[in-house]
Amino acid sequence: MTRTIGLDVESRPECIELLSGALCGVCQRQLALPAADISAIHLAMVEAVNNVVEHAYNGESGHLVRVELELAPNRCNLRVRDHGQPMAPGRLAAVTTFAEPDPEDPDTWSTRGRGLAIIKSCMDTVEYEARDGVNTLFMSRTLATGESA
Amino acid sequence: MILTHRNIEGIDIVSLSGRLVMADVPQVRQKLLAIVEAGNGKLVLDLKGVGFMDSSGLSVLVSVFKAARAKGGDMVLLGLSPTVRSLIELTRLQHIFSIFDDEATALARLAESAKSAAG
Repeated sequence: MTRTIGLDVESRPECIELLSGALCGVCQRQLALPAADISAIHLAMVEAVNNVVEHAYNGESGHLVRVELELAPNRCNLRVRDHGQPMAPGRLAAVTTFAEPDPEDPDTWSTRGRGLAIIKSCMDTVEYEARDGVNTLFMSRTLATGESA
Repeated sequence: MILTHRNIEGIDIVSLSGRLVMADVPQVRQKLLAIVEAGNGKLVLDLKGVGFMDSSGLSVLVSVFKAARAKGGDMVLLGLSPTVRSLIELTRLQHIFSIFDDEATALARLAESAKSAAG
């Protein structure tokens, strides 16, 4: 059986904490997912919504962010939707892995640009679509032992 | 996010507890940079109480590390939770951050680096 939970919040950093609490609570108490899966899904969601707040809505509060968590046997799908500025075409595909910072070269000590790479590390599949004014980041992860709820 | 600050023989020790995420980042970054600016750039950042961090939290660590180095000092990390350690290793930041499990060793490292710089 597939179950879906939808969560709508305003585009404010404080609301990401509400989403975190709700997502972790559902994953731990209702679905009893393995800790490694919860950590990965949680981090991917936070990074995805951070990107929406910071980039799609350019830091403006008052806009809608929708998160959908879909639990199928042995798989978790996560969708983060917004109505803001779409990500540049090819941006997601261009993100590969983390550049290794050089202790001797301060120019490699980057303070930004890790969010999408973190999402790709946490989830097996990451896809992005901008259509009819709605942007959707789709993320999917195979669960370690399947849901036990 | 709770931040406590003390100073031992010229080395600033700042303990954070809570979740270092986007909602807290502006305030934490400002406070840590102010501490580095006011001191001599030698900082132990105790993260034992930080159970979760995202990429915006990592950006604070890198910003403060850069500020400390620019001042001729250094920033070392103390007491990482498994979740935070995993994130730092995933993003390869362990190549620039020195990470310790106990405060005495972290303090000794900063005192040693100060002697090296002076010598």
